[in-house]
Amino acid sequence: MIRARGVQKSFGSAVVLDGIDLDVNVGEVVSILGSSGSGKSTLIRCMNGLERLDGGLITIDDFDVSNPKDLAEARKRSATVFQLFNLYPHMTAVENVTLAPIQVLRIPRAQAESEARALLDSVGLGARADAYPAQLSGGQRQRVGICRALAMKPRYLLLDEITSALDPEMTAEVLNILAQLARTGTTMVFVTHEIEFARTISSRIVFLDKGRLVVDLPTDRFFAGDGGMANARIAQFLSKMRKE
Amino acid sequence: MILAPHVPFLLKGALLTAEACALALFGSLVIGLLVAALRTSSSPLLSRAAFIYVDLFRNIPFIVQLFFFFYGLPEIGIYIDAFTTGVLALSIAGGAFSSDVIRSGILAIDTGILEAAEVSGLSKPTIFRKIVMPIALRTSIRPLGSVFINLVLTSSILSTITLNELTGSAKIVASDTFRPFEVYAVLLIVYASLTYLISLAIGALHRRLNRDRMPDVA
Repeated sequence: MIRARGVQKSFGSAVVLDGIDLDVNVGEVVSILGSSGSGKSTLIRCMNGLERLDGGLITIDDFDVSNPKDLAEARKRSATVFQLFNLYPHMTAVENVTLAPIQVLRIPRAQAESEARALLDSVGLGARADAYPAQLSGGQRQRVGICRALAMKPRYLLLDEITSALDPEMTAEVLNILAQLARTGTTMVFVTHEIEFARTISSRIVFLDKGRLVVDLPTDRFFAGDGGMANARIAQFLSKMRKE
Repeated sequence: MILAPHVPFLLKGALLTAEACALALFGSLVIGLLVAALRTSSSPLLSRAAFIYVDLFRNIPFIVQLFFFFYGLPEIGIYIDAFTTGVLALSIAGGAFSSDVIRSGILAIDTGILEAAEVSGLSKPTIFRKIVMPIALRTSIRPLGSVFINLVLTSSILSTITLNELTGSAKIVASDTFRPFEVYAVLLIVYASLTYLISLAIGALHRRLNRDRMPDVA
């Protein structure tokens, strides 16, 4: 499981995360909601070791991400998909997907490549496997990004606002794949603004506000009038997001 | 034509220039990559040392460096033949300029790309070899071309350390024939062709490294 305890993170004098406690169990889909600047992305960046914690603890399967020796193991168990895709521009889709499996997991090239092509095929990109990122649409790039993460066979998939840079049509392409993954029981931490979609795939919803965890509820409780909606800040956030 | 009997001699000189330049080009690329890596490394000691190297060799006239290596070092017991000295000096000077160009290519890489690589568990050397270096090279290949062309032009200075490369041979032929106009006219054309060849090669390499941005490649 992913376990966060009392996580503190500041940038200069700005406190971004202020004592976050969160557990993500294997098989769960946990969506993290909150307005911009609430600390959602920073929390994910703390989980994968891209930001150093100023206090508290995050472990992935008991490997402490703040410990350099544990971090490698923690990173083997999790994989991240980024808002801006961050594909390697000089590599084809299939090369993007196979790089880490070959270099880190030591999977033979031929096997890695056939697995990568199967993955790309499963997200509808079988015919574009040899294209470069610059030759793909945003939605296609993000689907490659998802394949690149899945190729590492992670136990936990960390998704950092992965549709925020996409138009509605491309967003739908990407969300369809997440729905597929959720059905197959992939564990996901999903930072997003797609509230309605989060509602359909999540087992739990976490709401962050100004670096604090406001609620952590099962999805149906979160949207219930006497559950998350009873919190004025959440009700306000949801009604504003729905209007947009 | 008056120069006809001297053509084989000039050709030998041209060949020597081409050899020295090819080796120095390779040498300065290797040094440039290494020094650029050091300059962008997180170790303050290594990056400091690399900065000193670049500042030093960019700010000393090439001919002074060359004389120091060829005439200065034997004083303290280090003898290197003229050709090796020339190639080494060109590589060291060219490396300083190349590293500058490659360094800006490295600094221009989107940090998100490096984060993706880091998170996927790739080791630092692998990230440098598979991601940083190829991306930096594809953005810096054109400015690197200018550095390489400069290298060919600078190689004419090697004639001052007894090396009969193209310029050295031309000087000899000019004084043998008393026809400096014809001899140096030929020299002009040969240098221009050499550098033009490099421009063509760099252009082709640039297209190859950036092939993903070409519209006709599917």
